[in-house]
Amino acid sequence: MEIAYALKHPVRLELKLQVEGFTVLLGESGVGKTSLLKAIAGLIPANGEPFAGLKAEKRPVGYLPQHFALFPHLRAWQNVAFSLAHLPGPDRKRKALAYLELMGIAELAERYPRQMSGGQQQRVALARALAREPQILLLDEPTSALDLATREEVFGGVLERLKALALPTLAASHDLWLAQRAHRVAVLTRHGLLQQGSPEAVFARPKNLEVARLVGYRNLWAGVVLWLEGEWAWVQTPLGVLQVARPDWVQAGQKVWLGIRSEEVFTLDTQKNRLLGRISQLSWQGLRLRGQLMVGGVALDFLLPRHRQLQLGLSEGLELEVALEPRLLHLMPA
Amino acid sequence: MDDPVFWQTLRLTLEVSLVTTLILLFLGLPLGWVLAHKRFWGKRVLESIVLLPLTLPPTVLGFYLLLLLGQNGPIAQTFGFTWAFRFEGLVVGSVLFSLPFALNGYREAFRSLDLDLIQTARTLGAGWRRVWLEVILPITWPGILSGSILAFAHTLGEFGVVLMIGGNIPGKTQLVSIYIYDQVQALQFDRAAEAAGLLLAVSFVLVYLVRTLEDVWRSRMP
Repeated sequence: MEIAYALKHPVRLELKLQVEGFTVLLGESGVGKTSLLKAIAGLIPANGEPFAGLKAEKRPVGYLPQHFALFPHLRAWQNVAFSLAHLPGPDRKRKALAYLELMGIAELAERYPRQMSGGQQQRVALARALAREPQILLLDEPTSALDLATREEVFGGVLERLKALALPTLAASHDLWLAQRAHRVAVLTRHGLLQQGSPEAVFARPKNLEVARLVGYRNLWAGVVLWLEGEWAWVQTPLGVLQVARPDWVQAGQKVWLGIRSEEVFTLDTQKNRLLGRISQLSWQGLRLRGQLMVGGVALDFLLPRHRQLQLGLSEGLELEVALEPRLLHLMPA
Repeated sequence: MDDPVFWQTLRLTLEVSLVTTLILLFLGLPLGWVLAHKRFWGKRVLESIVLLPLTLPPTVLGFYLLLLLGQNGPIAQTFGFTWAFRFEGLVVGSVLFSLPFALNGYREAFRSLDLDLIQTARTLGAGWRRVWLEVILPITWPGILSGSILAFAHTLGEFGVVLMIGGNIPGKTQLVSIYIYDQVQALQFDRAAEAAGLLLAVSFVLVYLVRTLEDVWRSRMP
């Protein structure tokens, strides 16, 4: 489904967006993600297709705000039945229960929202949105009201169910975890929609510095291309001269940005791009170890899985040599 | 309680209070919604005007109403009717005087309503009628009822405004609070005590109801 919308208030925004399967609109807060969803739902004035000129209550969209907005005075099944006002009484309840079943929470039908956890409320809200039989599902920050520790467990199941429905879904989020699991990612910044494509493409090959930062690159250096040879480019960087996979746009003498993801700093054993440095600022982030390798005055951020740390036994102050795999170094135009 | 005028007066007082409360409901609900959720030029002026009866001496309000609704007033000259010294005049005065009490309750009830609920209800296919009947009112009714009860209780005990605009005609525009004053002036302390005691009891029950509703309301808010 193609979304082409222009709005002026509360943010000025104009974009054309391809929604395929579960699509994440990735961006920091304040760039207009929520406003775009509301505009598509007809809740704030905007021009665009689809659904141009229709009132909110006439648009075939399923809209889920950040905190799900369940009606506090209605039971779970009554919340779902709210979407089914066109059906006669007995059918409403039967159908509502069927939608709860679809989200795997039929046993919660008689509960009030305040008697449910955040994850359960979200499923009820999804059942209610689906009962509207929408052409598109709009989710505002679907993982932000959930506990980070249980996010995978709570939202993973929901995500699988949503993907199985094959309903175009647009989820506004700044959550990289969610974006990595989407069918498609679109990156929205203050400068508009900068890149859209598969998560693999966006995360591995961000188009420019801004996108790279947004998708989690912590190692970004300015550089100059020294020479090109076959499929490789050699780039002068603050870390020294590095060999890098050559994109087709690059030319000798060109100023570029060079980036590598923290989790790919240790990936492969290679004789190329070897760097000697001293380890500092080690800290555990969940089950992964984050640290910095100080190479000269430059910090190289890295992220190691637990089993690698068991093999390596890193500690602060230790001297260490790493190799940056040329195919995982990513070049962007400056 | 042996005074037949007292029962007439009590009945009239209840009628004025009831009609006033109903009018406030129809007037105050939209106004409360607008004040809670809309932004517009001159909003602060409007808020100040509707809150004015809280600080204005009741006789001042009554005086201006008398000028407005009296025999030589602009309403009489333009539309040809006089509401001063009549039931209608009592109601107009009471509505204005109790407006802040009703409005505060309504506005707070609407203000604490999560607007996401309304927007989401609309995306689920509900027009404004359903949104009001099935979302807004079921969630905010304790606040609305408590505002209405307060307005009712406040109207019951009104003195200055109704004295000015109504003129204290026994059986026609005399209300209980003025009746009590008259009895005291006539040194009929027994009658005054009975009427005062009744008003005290009714007022206490009403305020107690309001407090109870406030607790109900709070427990419903997520």
